[in-house]
Amino acid sequence: MPAVLEIDKLRIGWTDSAGEHVIVDGVSMSIQAGEILGIVGESGSGKTLSMLAVLGLLPAPLTVLGGSIHISGAPVTPATAPGMRGKRAAMVFQDPMTSLNPVFTVGAQIAEAVTLHQGLKGRAAMDAAVDALRKVQVPDPERRAKQYPHELSGGMRQRVMIEMALACKSEVLLADEPTTALDVTVQAQILQLLRQLQQETGMAIAFITHDLAVVAELCDRVVVMYGGKVFESTDVNTLFAQPGHPYTQALLESLPDRAIPGQPLVSIPGQPPTSGQRGSGCPFKSRCRVAINACDAPLPLVQLGTIDKPQLVACHRVSEVA
Amino acid sequence: MSTTPPMLDVRHLVKQFPKRGGMFGKREVFTAVDDVSFQVNRGTTLALVGESGSGKSTVGMMLLGLLETTSGDVLYEGRPVIGLRGPERLALRRKLQVVFQDPFASLNARMTVAELVMEGMRVHKMYANDAERRARAQELLGQVGMPAHALDRYPHEFSGGQRQRIAIARALSVEPEFLVLDEPTSALDVSVQSQVLNLLRRLQRERGLTYLFVTHNLAVVDYLADEVCVMEKGKIIERGMVEDVFDHPQHVTTQRLLAAVPKVEM
Repeated sequence: MPAVLEIDKLRIGWTDSAGEHVIVDGVSMSIQAGEILGIVGESGSGKTLSMLAVLGLLPAPLTVLGGSIHISGAPVTPATAPGMRGKRAAMVFQDPMTSLNPVFTVGAQIAEAVTLHQGLKGRAAMDAAVDALRKVQVPDPERRAKQYPHELSGGMRQRVMIEMALACKSEVLLADEPTTALDVTVQAQILQLLRQLQQETGMAIAFITHDLAVVAELCDRVVVMYGGKVFESTDVNTLFAQPGHPYTQALLESLPDRAIPGQPLVSIPGQPPTSGQRGSGCPFKSRCRVAINACDAPLPLVQLGTIDKPQLVACHRVSEVA
Repeated sequence: MSTTPPMLDVRHLVKQFPKRGGMFGKREVFTAVDDVSFQVNRGTTLALVGESGSGKSTVGMMLLGLLETTSGDVLYEGRPVIGLRGPERLALRRKLQVVFQDPFASLNARMTVAELVMEGMRVHKMYANDAERRARAQELLGQVGMPAHALDRYPHEFSGGQRQRIAIARALSVEPEFLVLDEPTSALDVSVQSQVLNLLRRLQRERGLTYLFVTHNLAVVDYLADEVCVMEKGKIIERGMVEDVFDHPQHVTTQRLLAAVPKVEM
């Protein structure tokens, strides 16, 4: 069975007279049906751009320079992406207020998606919208459907966004930091809802986040990105028990949960690189505690773990640290 | 028993906002902060935690004089601060500084880092001239771990973590005693958050600073704060030493907040 989402050696960037400027460099990942993949990275790591490429929504002048994206075996290209967007892959963004249209009622916006993707019209579409709101546990759905986005709380708006993605019966849901703007208790509800809907529908979910604790609670497998590259790709238990990449290890050690009383937090020196500062070697080299000169060479991909639980690590020094 | 008064003594603080659309023009009010009292002792950190809308940031804004109070008293070193005018108010504003959540919004994009850090020193007529202020600005940037060449650059040239360091240097420039930290690490990347937390803790130790730490991030509270007050709907519903409250939360809302924090089991 092919993966629902298969990204292979994806390269994103722009071209000008000086040549290619690569921002996302050789990213590969796949998600099976019924699986939640966590994509972890800091701002500028390329996690959001990779997902936008899946939908064919890269902002100009950025384009896909190389590699391939398939959804259930069908290639995503500039020609096919508009027809797949919404139907086969849907996205939920961080800030639901900017993704909903402020001048239409919530019900009308869900009904629009229902009309487009399920062919229902008028009253039937509106009834479907109310049902949909009930399904994502919005209280008093009849009244809420007649309200405008600003009348809903942040958590409720995010439920509406998730519902619009579900109404289209997409095969893969791309969730880009959907709980970052929410309170912890509301975040817990949304994570619970995603898990439940995913079990009911069997859809594949890519969950983008910078919060490792959310990954630990929600995801089956994890891809760690940094500086436009995939550093580590493994199942969630291995990631926390035996992180293979020095960056992942440092990230886990710097969590406040891990603080030793009376001691400063372990911290990673320096700043993440901007896309202009990247060379061909490891983008983490200047901050890495085990870096050597050889780290300037293109990154190898080392396979650790077992056949059924593979752990891929992109690091020259993996034998020293893993 | 110590006889020194607390650094900050907040008594029965209330903030009400008028609500729109009362029947027949009847004035209805929304009580954002409802009879809040707490004390912060010198050199310690008190965390105000709660969900959005709980009133925690409103309290911080009132302490800074950025928002008028409806009723209640705020005493700073035993002296009332509400309603201060002129030079007295200016003197207090020097002692009480703030670091906001979003270092992208809180630094004026048209000012260089040197101008940003020197602005407070100019307002408070500290040091004899700009050359001395600039030297002091450079020293401060060094203390928060910024390179010297940062002085003549603009905020947009820096990352979020670096901007937050600039904001901290700016707050420290007027030699404050008390810092209100309103979600100081929420907008930062994970690998940079711990750098800023370490910096805040080191500065507290070196300068004897007192912090009021406003946050919804309970994982960070454990690291930075001594005492914690949990707020809900404008009221403080639970307070105590951080380890007591975290290990034995009494109020159901505190229990719910703590249970909702995603945890990494290792």
